[in-house]
Amino acid sequence: MIEFRNVTKVFGKDETAVRAVDDLSFVLPVGAFWALMGPSGSGKSSILHLIAGLTPPTSGAVLVEGVDVAKMTSAEAAALRRRRVGYVLQTFNLLPFLTAEENVGMPLVLDGIRQREVDERVREALAMVNMSHRAAHHPTHLSGGEQQRVAIARALVIRPAIILADEPTGNLDRAGGRAVMDLIQEVNERTQVTVLLVTHDPVFAACAQRVLRLVDGRLHQDMTLPDGGADADDVGLAG
Amino acid sequence: MRHAHGIQYALLGVVSTNPEGVHGYALKRQCERMLGNFWQLNFGEIYRVLDRLAEDGLIEQVAAEAETARKVYRITTKGRRSLDDFVLTPPTDAPRPMRQELAVKLLFAAPERLPDVLRMIDHQRRAYMEQLHLLGTQRRKVRRLPIDSFVTCLLIDGAELHVRSELAWLDDVAQKLKERFTS
Repeated sequence: MIEFRNVTKVFGKDETAVRAVDDLSFVLPVGAFWALMGPSGSGKSSILHLIAGLTPPTSGAVLVEGVDVAKMTSAEAAALRRRRVGYVLQTFNLLPFLTAEENVGMPLVLDGIRQREVDERVREALAMVNMSHRAAHHPTHLSGGEQQRVAIARALVIRPAIILADEPTGNLDRAGGRAVMDLIQEVNERTQVTVLLVTHDPVFAACAQRVLRLVDGRLHQDMTLPDGGADADDVGLAG
Repeated sequence: MRHAHGIQYALLGVVSTNPEGVHGYALKRQCERMLGNFWQLNFGEIYRVLDRLAEDGLIEQVAAEAETARKVYRITTKGRRSLDDFVLTPPTDAPRPMRQELAVKLLFAAPERLPDVLRMIDHQRRAYMEQLHLLGTQRRKVRRLPIDSFVTCLLIDGAELHVRSELAWLDDVAQKLKERFTS
């Protein structure tokens, strides 16, 4: 569970101060899939940075699994990112000199996990994103969509409680973007990992159960989307 | 393509996929599966259209189902020809006009009603997001059905693009209204 309690984040000082997040409160339950939308500079990415402990709030509290992130030591915050939070970015950030499987295994290697377990979990993560057949390829030999799938496998390999996805489809064409979103949605349903997605694309945001629309760091609109449990035959396509 | 015309050929097309014949209930189910319920059909409409297609000689009634006495229809040679002609004729749908209702409200809303207009835009945005969510749900469900979902997915693509453009327009309208009346 992630909780924001009256969180404000200000960058800069005095006249140059920018209020990226402004008195924001919400509770994101375990296993939920939410999306953040809003114009550029509305504070979407800052919210993800606050959750991952990459930056402390100016005021208020960010609680991840009940723990106040601002009160963690930098080693504890790093451990949170390494073990509990999977981060997926628009730029896939794969290391070009490592193969897909080596990239995926990197968080586990850094965490001192023994090689046999690393290998097993990497295999499992690559299978989950349907990239087992590309395990030995370097990123430069993969398409954008494939690179993002590898990046998602790298986020999944730690068996995270939370996935923070910051414009994961931003560098992909429509088909590639849709495949990535299908994957994120499937992982959320299958593993009950909590997902917080930042996107400009309403079609992809609408995959979520709830969409928060931000303007100038404030919650402008909170949209809970209808339960998708209806029979497919009963869903209209009007429009 | 007029709406009613579209329904006629949608039903004729679905009848054509049942060489042994099909009754109205099964036809409704199949039609909704194949077309993603693109047209909301009720049984009254279906039977009216079937009667019309039969009158025009495009379908014919075969022996009624023994157990239920339901009428069973299949396509005729004339119907197959008509369907082929229809498939090859370019669609004549005019582009759907933008949200006329919102445009009228904007025209007649006084500047001091700006907050109300912006709330209305938020309301409309929510409706579109809900629609996109349902379209996504439908896409995933249709893919799991044991049928060829290719055309249904194309229809969903089209509906999504339409909603996306409406949402972009709403964002644009909201932004420009704020600039115009709050500067």
